[in-house]
Amino acid sequence: MLEVNKKMLWRGTKTGLQTTWELAKVVVPTAVVVAVFRASGLLDVITAFFAPYMGFFGLSGEAAIVLFSGYFINLYAAAGSIMALNLSISEITICAVMLGFCHSLLVELPISQKAGSPMGYIFIIRLACSLAVGWLLGVVLP
Amino acid sequence: MSVLWDGLLQGVKGVWTIALIVIPLMVVLEIAQSNGWLHKLNHFMAKPFKVIGLSEDGAFPLVVAVVFGITYGSGVILSHARTGKVTPKEARVVGTFMAIAHALIEDTIIFWVLGVPLLLLLLPRIVLAYVMAYIVHRITPEDSLAQGNNLDAVD
Repeated sequence: MLEVNKKMLWRGTKTGLQTTWELAKVVVPTAVVVAVFRASGLLDVITAFFAPYMGFFGLSGEAAIVLFSGYFINLYAAAGSIMALNLSISEITICAVMLGFCHSLLVELPISQKAGSPMGYIFIIRLACSLAVGWLLGVVLP
Repeated sequence: MSVLWDGLLQGVKGVWTIALIVIPLMVVLEIAQSNGWLHKLNHFMAKPFKVIGLSEDGAFPLVVAVVFGITYGSGVILSHARTGKVTPKEARVVGTFMAIAHALIEDTIIFWVLGVPLLLLLLPRIVLAYVMAYIVHRITPEDSLAQGNNLDAVD
């Protein structure tokens, strides 16, 4: 019933290594860039600017970096930012759940369109889910 | 210099943590796929998919997208649409569902290793995807997308 052979093991390992490499290419540079932002004081400027908006989701201003890198780049970039910042676990949770709904928009919206669903429509649905659930978690989570 | 080093170290550590999970998982997924488990999962999910208006054929791209990612799911939609296995309305329902919930394994792992509870990563996405797909299913007239859908315009 269950068949396992060398070819499957090799193909799976290869896919895993490819994923890891794709991940490394984004996570490591993002973590470095965010660390530089932090040391140079640029992070404080960004944080101060976004703090009032992020408060709506129970997030600190720093979390704006995580959301933007996730929305526009991808989840790996968001993970890289999280690693380089000092967010509380509930902030990480809120960002992660928000980003689950809505991420990699520049790549994924055209893919949705190709599969027969207009970009604008998919964008609105994904962003609305993200913001609504973010707000809810901000209220619910300690 | 130590700033760059700190960032680099943090990034590499993170990648390592994820790699330890991703590589074995991809092996398991490959075995599952080679043994036809995707079709079994599809068959198992037939009832809940029927509620949102999907036939077993129509739901298959969704199963692929949920497990492997939106790019793969879209590929299956396009090839299914060409052979008439997926109607334009089904493509819209599947498109809505998979835009919200896809690559549930990979996306979930990334944040799970950072300490986010599994249930919070999975449940809201699946539930909202299902609800949205249901709404789309209910408000879309059967043949409204038959004309001028952009499925066959793409190759």
